[in-house]
Amino acid sequence: MIDPVTFSIIRHRLFRVVDEAVITLKNVSGSAITNEGHDLMVSLYRADGSLLMGGVGFLHHLTSAAEACKSIIRRFRGDIHAGDVFLLNDPYTAALHTSDVYLVAPIHYRGELVAWSACFVHVYDIGATNPGGFCPDAENIYTEGFSSPGIRLVEKGEINRAVMDTFLNMVRSPDMVALDMNSMIACNNVARERMLALIEKYGFETVDETCKTLIVRSEEKLRARLRELPDGQWQSRQYLSVKDEVCRVKLTMTKQDDTLTFDFSGSSEQSRYAINCTKWASLGGLFAPLFPLLCYDITWNEGVISPITMIAPEGTIVNCMRPAPVSVATVGAIQSVNNAACTTIGKMLSASEKYAGEATAVWHANHFAVFLFGQNQHNKLAIGILTETFAGAGGARAWADGIEVGGEIPNPISRMANVETVEYTFPIRYLYRRRLKDSGGPGRYRGGVGMELSFVPHDAPDGGMHYVVSGKGSKFPMSEGLAGGYPGSPNAYMWIKNNEAQAGNGENATHADTTETEQQVVDWGVFPLMGKDALYVRWNGGGGYGDPLLRPAEDVARDVRDGLASQEFAERAYGIVIDPGTGESDPALTQKKRAGLMLDRKSGAQAATAGNAQVNCKHCSGNPAGSDGNWKESAALQETPLQSLGGPYASGGEVMLRSFSCPNCGVLLDTETAMQGDPYLNDRILIRR
Amino acid sequence: MAFVVATDVGGTCTDTVIVEDGRSVFIGKALSTPPDFAGGVIASIRSAAAVMEADLEDIFRQTSLFIHGSTVVDNTLLERKGARTGLITTAGFEDTLLVTRGAYGRWSGLSEEGLKHPVATDRPAPLVPFGLIRGVAERVDYKGAVIGELDEAGVEQAVSELLDEHRVESVAVALLWSFANPVHEQRIRSIIRAHDPDVHVSVSSEVAPVPGEYERTSTTVINAYAGQVVSNYINNLQELLGEFNYRGPVLVMQGYGGLLPAEQAAGRAVNMVECGPVAGVIGSKFLGDSMGDSNIIAADMGGTTFKVGIIQDGEIEYAREPLIDRFHYSVPKIDVASIGAGGGSLITLEEDTGAPLVGPQSAGANPGPICYGLGGSRPTVTDVLLLLGYIDPQRFLNGAMTLDTGNTARLFREQIAEPLGLPTEQAAIGIFRVANAQVTDLIHKITVEQGLDPRDFVLHAFGGTCPILASAFARELSVKRIIVPYTASVNCAFGLAGTDVMHDYSVTLTRSVPCPAEEINAIFEPMIGTARQALEQEGFPEDKMSFRWSVGFRYALQVHEIITPVRAATPLDEAGLEQLVNDFETLYENRYGKGSAYRDAGIEMTRFRLSAAGRIEHPEVAAQALADSSPDAARTGRRRIFVSGRDSLTEANIYDFDKLRPGNTIIGPAVIHTPITTIVIQDEQQGFMDGHRNIIIDMS
Repeated sequence: MIDPVTFSIIRHRLFRVVDEAVITLKNVSGSAITNEGHDLMVSLYRADGSLLMGGVGFLHHLTSAAEACKSIIRRFRGDIHAGDVFLLNDPYTAALHTSDVYLVAPIHYRGELVAWSACFVHVYDIGATNPGGFCPDAENIYTEGFSSPGIRLVEKGEINRAVMDTFLNMVRSPDMVALDMNSMIACNNVARERMLALIEKYGFETVDETCKTLIVRSEEKLRARLRELPDGQWQSRQYLSVKDEVCRVKLTMTKQDDTLTFDFSGSSEQSRYAINCTKWASLGGLFAPLFPLLCYDITWNEGVISPITMIAPEGTIVNCMRPAPVSVATVGAIQSVNNAACTTIGKMLSASEKYAGEATAVWHANHFAVFLFGQNQHNKLAIGILTETFAGAGGARAWADGIEVGGEIPNPISRMANVETVEYTFPIRYLYRRRLKDSGGPGRYRGGVGMELSFVPHDAPDGGMHYVVSGKGSKFPMSEGLAGGYPGSPNAYMWIKNNEAQAGNGENATHADTTETEQQVVDWGVFPLMGKDALYVRWNGGGGYGDPLLRPAEDVARDVRDGLASQEFAERAYGIVIDPGTGESDPALTQKKRAGLMLDRKSGAQAATAGNAQVNCKHCSGNPAGSDGNWKESAALQETPLQSLGGPYASGGEVMLRSFSCPNCGVLLDTETAMQGDPYLNDRILIRR
Repeated sequence: MAFVVATDVGGTCTDTVIVEDGRSVFIGKALSTPPDFAGGVIASIRSAAAVMEADLEDIFRQTSLFIHGSTVVDNTLLERKGARTGLITTAGFEDTLLVTRGAYGRWSGLSEEGLKHPVATDRPAPLVPFGLIRGVAERVDYKGAVIGELDEAGVEQAVSELLDEHRVESVAVALLWSFANPVHEQRIRSIIRAHDPDVHVSVSSEVAPVPGEYERTSTTVINAYAGQVVSNYINNLQELLGEFNYRGPVLVMQGYGGLLPAEQAAGRAVNMVECGPVAGVIGSKFLGDSMGDSNIIAADMGGTTFKVGIIQDGEIEYAREPLIDRFHYSVPKIDVASIGAGGGSLITLEEDTGAPLVGPQSAGANPGPICYGLGGSRPTVTDVLLLLGYIDPQRFLNGAMTLDTGNTARLFREQIAEPLGLPTEQAAIGIFRVANAQVTDLIHKITVEQGLDPRDFVLHAFGGTCPILASAFARELSVKRIIVPYTASVNCAFGLAGTDVMHDYSVTLTRSVPCPAEEINAIFEPMIGTARQALEQEGFPEDKMSFRWSVGFRYALQVHEIITPVRAATPLDEAGLEQLVNDFETLYENRYGKGSAYRDAGIEMTRFRLSAAGRIEHPEVAAQALADSSPDAARTGRRRIFVSGRDSLTEANIYDFDKLRPGNTIIGPAVIHTPITTIVIQDEQQGFMDGHRNIIIDMS
């Protein structure tokens, strides 16, 4: 039994080991995606590869890197030595996609394997068809670049030059990729040194005992929390579209006693496009929101993993079979798994009195991987992602609005580069980069807003450059709302051709101000940015929480004043009529407007007589829960095209917003985005706690 | 006789050091009196005067220089009491300040616990709300070329809206790429001035001429927000000094480690952030210089926080991504790391694991620790130090307060020891270890993690609490030795008296290595011209001026810049430039680890910085003659104290600092009580009082 003081010190030191290794990654790597975006991860693992201490960074890697360690253990059994470092990036073995290269390293103490460290960065290039690693048009994994199920890169402290040189021979900008590799080797070295220093100081037995105890305690603590939450079943559905193909990620989360099961049955078959993900990626994808949403005060280790089960049928978009392409997975199916899990966990939390405050609508559901490439103004090949994709919008919470451009849940420490940094690295000039009005999902608490940007070539030796865009899902508002909140607005990508406004300050070069013939939607593939072209990108707002008609008028008026919502949107989404003279809401007109909207809702109740389940409305009488069937069949239903919300919603596809309201009081209880014919999601609370 | 008076207004105390004829140092201390600082300043100077058996009028009559540091800017920001501020920026980028590079402004400054819990987080409210931000059409590109003319009519309108309609008291101007070409920012300032000559204006190309529009804008906004408060503060200070007929120079401490004449400091509010603790680090360097130590860990632990700065090879480290109250800023600022661990930090047990935690919540001065008997009922670090025998309940603060040991032991046993399942003493020992571990972790973070080995460093222990813990945690860090300076309790004020007037200039330009030395000299030349003029105006003769050059380097493909001081003679010749490049490479590998450099990519110079100093006279206190080594005359008795090497409480000698004589050697374990603090010497250590009454603790 370790005394609590030593326990406390060792636990803290373990986190410091990880934190310090993260700093090393950032210090050595030269990539903006690592340094500016914080697209990285470092964690420690037990001798058997189970998770010991997860660091902050992209959290869907914590379990995948565990599998990477385990897979190396299996492959190299009896041949793992102190000072070795292994590279693994095959998604069908453990990784998420080929670009996110794992370097995993054993930690030996007095000749004995005692732990592993693992890290990843999204390398500058992986030698795939397209620069930067995202390959929208890959037909299979064979065109997605270098891929290894496990290879020894460093042998007993010495870099295996043959392996390293072969690898660097297969990628663009090998000097930048070499830096990425150096950074990961240095990072593992630091983790090992610090871990050994810890063991030296406290003794192996004590550290080992503490690690075991940490894992046991994490499991106990998560199970205890689960027992406090209601038993039930919650569903969510995410749509991803590429060109004409629409895929679904369907999730049914069942919570029973102290266990959680995530069942992806009903998800689409694997796609011909690279948005698929493998089962390790799906597992990581559901844990990424689970760690911060359910385990914010629990050490992130193997103990948290034990109570969780995943069912992901083979051959689906969330468990694709070789050789399906997966290079876009991290912003494709994995992100949809993140979002779906965030929604079902959020539904469960908001059904609990004690934990409702932890529930959140989806944050930043749709990364937009735009990779620029070409000769830059300094005559070097420049490749890089627009790090704005790490500046997502926060989802609304049960007690507060979403944070405007507040980031995302799966990576709690993301950020984006300054405009000046991008303009120095790439031959482009921004026309604007600003918050996107009307993008936050309406709700009692509004989702945070996203942003929009536009840029043109500037001082490009080749007259411009090109970009790879993997903009799946721009037809759908993927940041789902919660408890009646609406989803945030969808993404959009526009090529504005021969833009005449670029000579000036660019203020009028919004895509809205150019004519139809001059612009083209560019959400999938490789496109030019040449001469007077401009690229316009806008990204999604966070989901809302609760009924928008319950949002206080003064909050909506403030949103209008702060440039976060337009007057028209305030009226359409919130029923708030703003007096243009005062900027405040007009009470009489507002009351009339809101009453009318409420009446419209209740009229939907007549259409919903088929159901025999009861609606459990906490806003009026409150019927008992636990009935069979789907309560939504008895609710007042409205189906409206989401495009009709206008503003940034207008560019979305033909998807419906289903609103389920209480037939008695008219308060909006739940929303779904749905395509015609898709069944209602079925949420059931079986045992309230 | 001539006095230099240095006063530092801190959160709790206002400290004074008076240097007489550059030879003798006198110390004063009084409680700070926020929001009005004057009472504390006067009381503090009076307390030093009392030691000199003089009155205030006497002191001021003979004062030749008044030096000042203050938390005024920190308080203005923490309490949101700054000016109503507007922001003018490039059209299309109005939201830069509010968006904070995405989540960066949401998570910066959060603890591990905060980072893991994003749902519970938010940004601090911005210092300039959306309604007071105006975009104006203009554009400069990455080369500094104007590619869109400034829309002057638009500026007129924006200025009129901000000043006339919204009645802003202060305006920040921050445009894209202004550090590469400030012409538009300067024009906007002229337009504002023409509209209202009295409104405060902060311009980013002057306040923070560095790349990165978010950090530059944030810095400029902080400067504008606190600008008016600082000018008022400095006016009031000068009036106060005027009442005592002091008409001499008044110098104000800057976060980059130099002093500025008060009139100039008023326009540089952001440079006063944390200037007191920075002066503390300077004080450490000053002391180190006189004792021949060039690697120093300067640690200060008071009631609520533990602060630490690093001096390496006689150079002070600068902060990389500084924050004030979770706002980013980007001016050169001496790095002072801190955690919420001090004498008043509360001790709690984690709900589920029972693991003990120290801080970051603090009992403050009131009710304070249980032992003060002022109503505090939750155990603090000070209570634990009392239970471990380090504090004499009868002699606390020179006997000003009698501590309540019985009640402390009872509440500690009920709240901590019993839940931990340990006897009171063992539990107190455990808490002591946790507090030491937290401090050690912080020092580890800023040394080992930066490639510095604590074994090459001496530790300076300042503040009321640090000299008690230092002998225990320094053992874990394996530092060379500990020095508890005679001025430990007023270290920041002492640092003020050891600082020079300093002007900082910088130019952001990229030059690839190799590059002719002439080209570098040509970059520095205009900065030196400006600096020389400024120092001349302040009355510094040529022989009191010194110019320190430094250059920001990086490897071409990497992003981290290292400011490398020029050690060779300036202007540079080719050999001197080569030495500079070599120094950079050494510094880089030291900081980021062996193998982290990527030489094949080439080396770039990205920033050129000039620090122009006007030397002022610093105290050179004469050493007293050493007496014999026996401290017996100062011994007041024996008491049980916790001895870390034996892991138990053991009888130890107790000494009175005032009765110790230079040359005395004290064998640990032992405790020395000074009028303000307590110094603990652990087992297998010995303390030595040097000719300046510093206590030097050697680790065997």
